[in-house]
Amino acid sequence: MGRPPSNLPPKRGRPSSSAASQKLSDVEQDVYNLIRSKEGMGIFVGDLKRELKLQDAIVKKSLKVLESQKLIKGVNDVHHKLNKHYMAVEFEASKEITGGSWYVEGKLDAEFIKSLKELCLKLIDKLEVVTVEGLFDYVRRSGCFNDEVSSHQILEILQALVLDNEIEEVKSTGKGVFSSLPLGKVCYHRLTRRNPTTGILSSIPCGVCPRISECTPDGIISPINCVYFKKWLDF
Amino acid sequence: MLTQQGLEYAVHIIKSHFGDLVSKVCKCLLQRGPLTLQALAQRTQLPRDQLKKCLLVLIQHNCVQAFIAAEAEETSDLQRNFVQYIAIFDNILHRSRFSKFLQIAEEQLDGQCEELLKGLLQHGRLTLESVIARAVSQKNEGNSESQDAHRANFVRLVHAHFVERCPTAQPVLEPFAGELLTIEKRAITAAAPSHSERFSVIVDIGSDIDVKNNQRCSSATTGEKACVANVRSKLDVKTGTVLEAILEATRSSEEKVKEEMSVPLSMDTILQEVRGRPEGLEMTLEHVRAALNQLGCVPSLAGTEGLYSIDLKNIIANAQNEEVEAVVLNRYGREAYRIFRLLAKDSRLLETNQISDTTLVDKKEASELLFRLWKDGFLDMERMSSTLPKQATIFLWKVKKDSLWEHVVDTMYHAALNVSQRMDYEREQEQELRQIQPDLMTEALKKRYNRLRRVMLILESSLLKLDDAFMLFNDF
Repeated sequence: MGRPPSNLPPKRGRPSSSAASQKLSDVEQDVYNLIRSKEGMGIFVGDLKRELKLQDAIVKKSLKVLESQKLIKGVNDVHHKLNKHYMAVEFEASKEITGGSWYVEGKLDAEFIKSLKELCLKLIDKLEVVTVEGLFDYVRRSGCFNDEVSSHQILEILQALVLDNEIEEVKSTGKGVFSSLPLGKVCYHRLTRRNPTTGILSSIPCGVCPRISECTPDGIISPINCVYFKKWLDF
Repeated sequence: MLTQQGLEYAVHIIKSHFGDLVSKVCKCLLQRGPLTLQALAQRTQLPRDQLKKCLLVLIQHNCVQAFIAAEAEETSDLQRNFVQYIAIFDNILHRSRFSKFLQIAEEQLDGQCEELLKGLLQHGRLTLESVIARAVSQKNEGNSESQDAHRANFVRLVHAHFVERCPTAQPVLEPFAGELLTIEKRAITAAAPSHSERFSVIVDIGSDIDVKNNQRCSSATTGEKACVANVRSKLDVKTGTVLEAILEATRSSEEKVKEEMSVPLSMDTILQEVRGRPEGLEMTLEHVRAALNQLGCVPSLAGTEGLYSIDLKNIIANAQNEEVEAVVLNRYGREAYRIFRLLAKDSRLLETNQISDTTLVDKKEASELLFRLWKDGFLDMERMSSTLPKQATIFLWKVKKDSLWEHVVDTMYHAALNVSQRMDYEREQEQELRQIQPDLMTEALKKRYNRLRRVMLILESSLLKLDDAFMLFNDF
């Protein structure tokens, strides 16, 4: 899988401007300096224009020059996908901008999360009980994700699986399946529940109906003319 | 819990059992609370004699209680010295559970007791003599031996708390004593005979005593059954069996119907109870231990032997959570389910980004889902102004259980009402099928007949299951 390593520390800024920036015009230099001063947070084009009191065309031209000289880069903002943050190339975009280690180019890497979850569940099934460290070790040794996964990410995956009601967080009793783990150690195991996601109300169309608040005995939507009832009863 | 849809459902039950006029009176009482005969006549616009007959039907079937307020109360509309009438919502709902009550009577006692109980359920209140006479006439028996047998069965029903004496016709309601009880509860409590009287009918056999089905006890057993059914489906059959055995073993010793913790039992007693039922015959000590563990049951040490008691309150709370979570999952999807479970876990306020990060849901999607859940009444939201330049407003979210649970129960009543109305509609549509014998039907009619049977089966079983869900959310 081709994800960038996520557990590396953020890059630090260089002490001075690069040699290439010396060839810049005054305006371009001002734009570059402002962008660089924002470090990993970067800056929106709109904020750039406002702060330097420059016209749109000049800012756009300066950004183009700076990008072509590989002095700055545009990073998608996870909150405003149509806007780009500009930052100096030597800075790693901050978590607020990128969304964190699960995001690639402003988008949640759902496929990666899904694969990692599946692998973790398989390993938990096999091992019965796991700790974060133990599971991290197994995931790395499985060779499926090489260096792409950090132990913090494994913890986050386990917490998401708990919320999915797939696994449960327990404390080791030091006995039985926990015998290899110290007493009180936080660990995770599969839930033995058979079908925890089927409820009584949700098995009836009204329980999941998006129009239930508009449904009345003699109304336009009613149990007599309900399309969901028809589908349910005449399958 | 009387919600708007609960009221509609209760009125629908009364309408289908006793007709339009009685349901009109019942609706008025449910909507307005206690009313005098005069006030009721004004609001329903019914002639006095008709109104009185309607009230008598409702009282006969334990759906209305009359009372007299001893003193006028400033905080309520209760009028001094006038007889007032109040609808008993729970008893109206119990009418849809009669088949369950009968099934329990048959399982716990036998078919003959079930027959006696059926008479009481059909007629609401009867004198002891009428109960016996009805049973005798049904079997075309007239000898004293069969009467004695029926009396003996009646004693069993009373001892098992299926049947109790009728409440006082017009109890005097003492002034409000500071306890946070509804007028409905106060009227029921004031009317109820003392505990010893309620179940002492047998002492004076032969006298003309009014008796009725003890719906509270029957519904408690039904509620326990709903709880066991929930554990069976959500955990496993063995765990359900162990829970059922423990509840049954402790039922008679529990004074209050629904205790938070069951009476402690030793492992030997539990094993004996479990193995005393067909599905528990092959269960080993290990199976029982595992089941107790699943139920979150830790032994307390009293003397030399570990005693186990079931945290019923916790089991019910988990079942309620799962019921609501299932609605979220099926209505809004897996991501919303994770978000809801996170927020429901400790009911604290969390910020949108924090929720998105913990649940691994895309930030924009998380925000959209949170707003949908909030709009539909599943979440509470608070806005906070941020000092950060980029995000002027921060949204904080939490699950507010009290209002959400009420919302869910209201949806359940709405669903039950819809299912009942659909049943009426389906029956009406195929009325002509009733006139024809199944073996004389053409192919086309047979097809319609089979469809109707299948549809009614789905609707009826859904209604029974919904009733289990009411039980989980209401005190049983």
